[in-house]
Amino acid sequence: MRVFDTSHLQKHKATDDQPTYEHVYDYADSQANIARIRRHFIKLRTRLILGLVVIFLLPSTLLSFYFHFQFAHTLKKSAILNLAAVAETQKNTIDLYLQERVINLYNLLHSREFTLSPTPENMDNFLQSLKHFNDGFIDIGFINPQGIQTDYAGPYPFLRDTDYRQESWYQTLVTENRNYIISDIRPGIRGIHHFAVAIRQLIDGHTYVIRAALDPEKLSSLLKTISQGKEVESILINRQGQYQTLASGQKRFPDHSDYVPSHALTSGVEEVEHGQQTLFVAHAWLKEPQWALLAMQPMSTAQAGMQQARLTLLISLAGFSMLISAIIYYTINKLVDNARRMAEKGQQLEEMLAHAAKLASTGELASGVAHEINNPLAIIMATSGIIRDMLNPEFGLDHSPEAIRKELTTIDTAAVRIKGITRKLQDMGRSRTLSTTHCDVNALLDETLARLKKVEFKTKHIETATRYLPDLPRIPGEPNALRQVFSNILINAADAIDQKGTITISTAMQESMVSVTIADTGKGIPLENLKRIFNPFFTTKENGKGTGLGLSIAASIVKYMGGTIKVNSVQGAGSSFTILLPSKERSE
Amino acid sequence: MTAVLRVLIVDDEDDLRETMVKRLKARKIIAEGANSGPQALKILEDKSFDVIVLDVKMPEMDGIETLRRIKDMKPEIEVIVLTGHASVEFGTKGMQLGAFDFMMKPAPLSELLDTIEQAYNKKRTMDR
Repeated sequence: MRVFDTSHLQKHKATDDQPTYEHVYDYADSQANIARIRRHFIKLRTRLILGLVVIFLLPSTLLSFYFHFQFAHTLKKSAILNLAAVAETQKNTIDLYLQERVINLYNLLHSREFTLSPTPENMDNFLQSLKHFNDGFIDIGFINPQGIQTDYAGPYPFLRDTDYRQESWYQTLVTENRNYIISDIRPGIRGIHHFAVAIRQLIDGHTYVIRAALDPEKLSSLLKTISQGKEVESILINRQGQYQTLASGQKRFPDHSDYVPSHALTSGVEEVEHGQQTLFVAHAWLKEPQWALLAMQPMSTAQAGMQQARLTLLISLAGFSMLISAIIYYTINKLVDNARRMAEKGQQLEEMLAHAAKLASTGELASGVAHEINNPLAIIMATSGIIRDMLNPEFGLDHSPEAIRKELTTIDTAAVRIKGITRKLQDMGRSRTLSTTHCDVNALLDETLARLKKVEFKTKHIETATRYLPDLPRIPGEPNALRQVFSNILINAADAIDQKGTITISTAMQESMVSVTIADTGKGIPLENLKRIFNPFFTTKENGKGTGLGLSIAASIVKYMGGTIKVNSVQGAGSSFTILLPSKERSE
Repeated sequence: MTAVLRVLIVDDEDDLRETMVKRLKARKIIAEGANSGPQALKILEDKSFDVIVLDVKMPEMDGIETLRRIKDMKPEIEVIVLTGHASVEFGTKGMQLGAFDFMMKPAPLSELLDTIEQAYNKKRTMDR
């Protein structure tokens, strides 16, 4: 026999302050429960993994961004400082080179061989001794106070007797009373690029100038030599931005630089956009002439080291993050799996417990059946015994046919009681295989009520009130089974009423469930009985009046239909039974 | 048997109780019936019995409670507990509370009479 009652498994036990006892049908079977547990743990695992990944990876990402920018800043600063140092060193070298050329001329002026009226041979000797100091010297010339080059030695003899008064360097030298001057690079009178070094000397109140031309190529190659291996390109420009040395790839003088540093700053570094790329340009102004040394380095070259470091950082960060993620994933998976297994095991244990409880309930049922049947059986045995006594003349009892017939009626009554019990037990079994149609709950209630009023309610003054929801949806179910549910509850309600009272029946929709509430103004159910009323054979009625199966059958039918029965009772004021039935077929 | 055996049957099943009383009376036993625990206690206030046959499952006051009160009131009366339950639980409970014996329903009259006689003999021994 299958037992439907699960009320003893109820999780929310009725307590003193909670006089509601629910008989709830939990239609989630074992598989559905396990699926639910699995879904829960999948969700949990995702949440844990995401949470931990964020907790671990977010700070390290932020930190690495911070270090990256800090590193880039530092690296840029050091590149700039480095470039400024290069520019400063190169400027000093160039300054020294040019100062030396000026000193070469002074040395010549102060040499013992010097004379203001030299022979061409003297001039050649002077040129030779200059070239001995530095092979950049091209030629040499003396300019008299009138600005005429009176003596000359070098490859351009036509420069003898040239008037230099219109030359800007000559004018600056004489008018500004300077001791020496170095000119910009320009073609000059000879039409070939060179620059001039000139010194002014007062002799007997007259201004004499000694000038020498220098090859700019030598300056360029000097610059190239000192910049070698520094990944820096260095050039010299004048105040107007004209190149004073040949930059790499340039063939001709004078080219013009786009960038001219401020003359107010003796040195400095700036970022300059040049075509597609950004250049760091460090400048340093020379003492004489007013040229600027520009040391240029593309930003990409300056930051090449950083690119490498950034790549290393990125790769190690990615590797580190992947390692952490893998560890997190592995650990969480393992933990969640363990927890899930435990939960599933727990679920299985719970089901086994429920099964065991059902078995226990079967025992309870068997003992209930025995008790219910044993009482009328005892009557039958005792009565057949008294008939036998009557027929025994020894006892001298009345053995008239009437007396015997009376005893036989007693036997019949007891037998009918037993039959009633077995029929109800069959009903309990049958309720599992109900044929389903669409039932109009309001109509079924009316029908049941009308039938009961004819017989069961007749002996008492019971008023009935109905509050139906007019357009209640039809529900899937077996009409006879539902009639039995309503009838069993209504009979109990009537029994609870002593002589006079009211039974109120109402129907409503509760979410997708149809609810039927049957409330009486009877004596109510004592708290200790509340959790037992759905147990088979639990009854408070006198022997022979109730079998204790009515509510049990009602509960099993409702449970089979996927619904619940809930009872709320106040002692002395009445009880109310609420039946919730699904309005749609269960999709399983 | 010099004195007449007096038996009180306590059972809420009218048919059973009345038939049993009738059958005991036919066997020259002074037998009386009570349909509930309180009624039995009320009868005991005026009359005395040698043996009480007590049903366990009764509305109002169950057999166990009735037994407790009978033993408080008249401890010399022997009580036989009769239960329809196929469980010895109520029987042993009754024995602990001082019942002479317990029997399962339906019990054949001969067995019941034997037990009643044993209880009566015990009581007589105790009375002496």
